[in-house]
Amino acid sequence: MKQIKLSYLLIAITFVVTLASCHKDKVIPKTNNPTATRAGLYVLNQGGFGSNNSTLTYYDYTTKQLTADLFSTANGGSKIGDTGNDVEIYGSKMYIVVNNSNRVDVVNAKTGKLIKQDSVHQCRSVAFYKGNAFITSYDGNVAVMDTTTLSISKYITVGRNPEQLVVSNDKLYVANSGGLSFGNPDKTVSVIDLTSLAETKKITVTANPVSLAADTYGNVYVISLGDFASVQGGITVIDNKTDAVKSQFAPSLGYNIPIAAQGDYVYYVTADNKIAVYNAKTQTAAQANFITDGTVITTPYTLAADALSGEIFVTDAKDYSSNGTLYAFDKTGKLEYSIVVGINPGKIAFVNK
Amino acid sequence: MQGIEHYLKSILSFLPGLFLCVVLPFSVNAQTDTAKKLNEVKVKTSPIPQVQSMAPIQQISANAFDQYGAFDVAGAIRNFSGVNIKDYGGIGGLKTVSVRGLGANHTAVLYDGILVSDAENGQIDLSKFNLNNVQDITLFNGQPATICMPARSFTAASILSIRTIKPALTANKPYQVTAGIKAGSFGLIEPYLQWQQRINNNWSFIVNSYFEDANGRYKYQSSGNGSSSTRDRLNSDISARQVDGALYWTKNDSNKFNLHINYYDSERGLPGAVILYNANTSRERLWNRDFFMQAGYERIWASGLHLFLNTKLSQNYLRYLNPDFLNEQHLLDQRFTQREVYQSAALAYHFAPNWEVSYSTDVAVNDLNVLFNYPYPLFPHPTRLTMLNVLASNLTLGKLQLEGSLLNTNITETVKAGRAAPARNNFSPTLLAAFKPFENSGFQLRAFYKYIFRNPTFDDLYYGGIGNPNLKPEFTNQFDLGATYSKALNGFIDYIALTADAYYSHVTNKIVFIPKDAYNGSIQNFGKVDIKGIDISLKTQTKSISGYKGSLSLNYSYLQALNVTDPTSSIYLNQLPYTPKNILAFNAGIDHGHIGLYFNQVISSSRYYTNDNLPYDYIPGYAISDASFVYHTVLNNKPLRASIGVNNLFDKSYFVVQSYPMPGRSLRLSIQITI
Repeated sequence: MKQIKLSYLLIAITFVVTLASCHKDKVIPKTNNPTATRAGLYVLNQGGFGSNNSTLTYYDYTTKQLTADLFSTANGGSKIGDTGNDVEIYGSKMYIVVNNSNRVDVVNAKTGKLIKQDSVHQCRSVAFYKGNAFITSYDGNVAVMDTTTLSISKYITVGRNPEQLVVSNDKLYVANSGGLSFGNPDKTVSVIDLTSLAETKKITVTANPVSLAADTYGNVYVISLGDFASVQGGITVIDNKTDAVKSQFAPSLGYNIPIAAQGDYVYYVTADNKIAVYNAKTQTAAQANFITDGTVITTPYTLAADALSGEIFVTDAKDYSSNGTLYAFDKTGKLEYSIVVGINPGKIAFVNK
Repeated sequence: MQGIEHYLKSILSFLPGLFLCVVLPFSVNAQTDTAKKLNEVKVKTSPIPQVQSMAPIQQISANAFDQYGAFDVAGAIRNFSGVNIKDYGGIGGLKTVSVRGLGANHTAVLYDGILVSDAENGQIDLSKFNLNNVQDITLFNGQPATICMPARSFTAASILSIRTIKPALTANKPYQVTAGIKAGSFGLIEPYLQWQQRINNNWSFIVNSYFEDANGRYKYQSSGNGSSSTRDRLNSDISARQVDGALYWTKNDSNKFNLHINYYDSERGLPGAVILYNANTSRERLWNRDFFMQAGYERIWASGLHLFLNTKLSQNYLRYLNPDFLNEQHLLDQRFTQREVYQSAALAYHFAPNWEVSYSTDVAVNDLNVLFNYPYPLFPHPTRLTMLNVLASNLTLGKLQLEGSLLNTNITETVKAGRAAPARNNFSPTLLAAFKPFENSGFQLRAFYKYIFRNPTFDDLYYGGIGNPNLKPEFTNQFDLGATYSKALNGFIDYIALTADAYYSHVTNKIVFIPKDAYNGSIQNFGKVDIKGIDISLKTQTKSISGYKGSLSLNYSYLQALNVTDPTSSIYLNQLPYTPKNILAFNAGIDHGHIGLYFNQVISSSRYYTNDNLPYDYIPGYAISDASFVYHTVLNNKPLRASIGVNNLFDKSYFVVQSYPMPGRSLRLSIQITI
C-alpha cells in the first residue's frame, strides 16, 4: 500500500515538474548563427559541494534538444561525482575535471561515453598543449597527462592551491591562489616551459589569483580575489613575451571570477553582476555592460565565447542551490535564447559535428 | 579482542566514579535524619497522557525509552507528530530536530527548565543528550502553558524540555544506586551509574555519570557509479563521558531550591559526506567540553504570589581538526570557546483563582572566542547582551481557557574588531485558547497564535569571510487550530487519547547560506516560506487481561513547506529540501508480567535535497522498523532490568541526509540493577 502511495506521489510530482519545466524551458529557435561545424554545447554543472550531483548538460544545436545529464545517459546511469569543476575538449576526447571526487574523466567528446578515469587529488582545471593535458591539483601541483595513453606522466610543482591555467606564447600560466590559507593567500602565477615541463618563473600578481584568459595580442589576464581584508581583488595583465606585469587595475569585481577573451575583447563580471567589456587591442575599458537588451543575470557564474559564431554565453547560478540558466547572446549583446541547466553551471564547452 | 580492550578501558575509566560511590555514603549516613514523620502526599497518577492543553504537547517518559528503541534524545522523540530529525547517521553523528518545517534554530531545548544555548551556531545536537538521567522529554508547540517561567521559555517556535530524574526517597531507604551497562553494535560500550541520596528531610542529591565508547563503524550500500557495493563507514568513532550532579532542597512543594552541575566531554571522528569515486577516509575530528552550573529557587506563597529565580553559568569548548586541509600548514585546527552568564526572575500573582498574571525578566551575556592555527585578524570576538521581558496572563472563564503573553527582546552586540550587528528590539505576542464545549466529555478545542523569531547566530553574523553582520532575525508567524479527546474507558480499552491539529506558518527573512563557490559564500536573509500541516496522534492501552496488556501509539504528520520567495523563480512553490510531506510513526507493545515486547515503525515519504524538486534530486522514502524486548524482575529485593533492542530490524539501506548513509541493522543490549 505504502509503495503504491509513494510511487503515485513520485509520478504526480514528476508530471507536475515536467509540465512546469516544459513551460519554462521553451527554447526560442536560433536564427542568425549558422555555425555549420558546431554540433552543440556542454555545460558542466558543479552541483552542491558534498552532494555528488554534478551533471553534464548537453544542448544539441540542430534538434534543439536538451539532455539534463549526458554523462549519466551515456554511461548506464553512472554519475559524474562531486563538484565537476572544469570541462574541455581536445581532439576527439573531452576531459571532465571532478574536484571533490579526485577524478579526471576522459570521455568521447561526441557521445560522452567514458574512456578512462584518472585519479588526480583535488583537481581543479585543465589545459592542453601538443598532446599533453595539464591538470591543476589543489595540493600545489600540475599533473601532466599524455592524451594518447591517458596516463599521468609527471607532476610539476607550482604554488599553493593552483586554480585555472592557460597556454599562451607556448608557455603555460598557472594561477596559484593559496585560497585555503585565509589571511595569507598566494599571489603568484607560475610560468611553465612546455618543452622542459618545468616551472621557470613565478610572476607576482594581486593576491589570490584564480582565473585566467589569454588574448591574441600577447596578453594574459589574471583575476584575483584579494585577501578578503585589506587587499582588494583585481585584474593583472601579463605580457606573454617578457612575463612581466604590464598593468594592474582593480575594478569592483565583488568576488566574481568569470573571464573570457574573444577577438579584440575581454569579458569579465563586475560586482553589480554586469558583463564588462575590455578592449584588448587598446587596453582600455570598452563597455560597462555587454548586454544591450536589458537581460538581467542574478549570479553570473561562467562566461564563454564561441570564436566561430562570435556568440557570448553566460550562465546564471541564481541562488547557488537550484537549477541555473544558460544565456546565449549574439555579438551585439542581444539575447538569442536561454536554456535550463543544472546547479552551479561553472563551465561551457563547444563540440563540433 | 578489540571488544575486551574497550570493555577494560571503560571499566578503568569508570573506577573513580565507583570509588566516589563507595566512600561518600558513609559521610552522608553519619548525618542524623531529623525527620520524624513524612508528609507524603500520594498522587494518584492516571496513565492517560496529558493532551488537554492549549498548545500541542507530546511527552515521553523514561519507562518508554526502551519501547521506542531510543538511545538518545533524538531517538526518543522521533515518533512525535510534526518532528523531523535530521540525522547524519551513526552513533556519533549529528542529530538535529526540525519541528513543523522550521529549522533547528527555532526549537529551544530546555534542560530542567533552563535553555541550553548555543550562541555560535544555534543548533543543539540531540545526540549529545544521554537518556540515563532523563525522567521525561516534552515537546511544546508554541510554548508551555505555565506562565511563571523564565522569559527564555517564551522565545522559540517550539520548546523541547528535558527533565532529569529527581530523587524521591524515604527515610527508611535514604539512598538508591543504579548501575547499568549498554553494549552492542558500533563497538558500543556504555557503563553508567546513578546515585540518589536523601540527606535529611529537606536535602537530597543525585549524581549521574556515564562513559560511552564506540568505534562507530557500520556497513552501508554505496551506489551511483552504476553498480552497488558494500562499504565501511570509517572515522565515525565516539568517546564521551558525562557527570551530572544535582542538589535539591525541598521544604515543601511551594518552597524549593536546586543546584545542577553538568560536565560533558567527548571526542569523535567526523566521517563526512560519502563522495563518489573518492575512497579517502576523512580524518576530521571534533572535541567538545561543555560545562554548566545552574540553580533555581521557587516559592509560592499562600497569598497567591509565585516567585521563580533561575541562574546559569556555562562554558562550551569545541575543537575541530582537519589534518588534510590544503592550506600552508596542511592543517586546520579551530578552537571555539563560548561562555554564558544568565539570570532570570519570574513573578506571578493570582488575582483570582481563575486569573494569573506573570512578569519575567532575563538577562544573558554570551561571548565567543576563537583560536585558529593561522593568523585571522578579522575574527571579531563578539559579545551579546540579551534582555528579555515577558508579561503573561492566563484566565479561565467557565469552559474557556485563555492565555496571552508579550515578549520584548532587546539584543545589543559588541565586537573587538570589525563591525557589530546593529541593536535589535522586538515585541512578540502569543495567544492561546482552549474551549471545552461539553462537561466531562473529554473533548476540547484549542488554538494558538505565536509571532516569534530566531536571531542570527554568531556564525551567521561573523564567521570568517561568510558572516553578515547586517542579518535580520528570521521571523515566523504560527497559527494552530486543533481538537483533543481523551477518555478513560471501562471496557477492553483502558483509555484513548486523540489529538488533531492543523497549522499554518509563514517564515520571512529566512537565513540561508549562499555559497559563492566551493570555498566561499555568504549568509543572507533570503526567502519566504509558507508552511501548512496536520499533526494527528493517537495513544491507547488495553486493560490487563489474564496478565496481558497491549499499548499502541500512532502519529501522523502532513507537512507542506513551500518556497514563496520569488514568484518569477523556477523554484517558486516548490517543497523545501529535506522536508518529507508525510511521516507516519507507530509503536505497539505487549506486556506480560516480567516481559514486554515492542515494535516501532517510522515511515517517511520521499524528499528532495535541492530546491528544484527534480527526479535527479530525489531521496526515496523509507520505512524503518525497530523491535525491543524488555525483561524486569526483582532479585533479592533489587530491581533488575534487561533489554535487547534491534534498530532497523529489516536492514534497510536509506538516507536522511544526502551523501550520509544511515546504518543498517544494529543491536543493543542493556542491563541495569538498582540497589
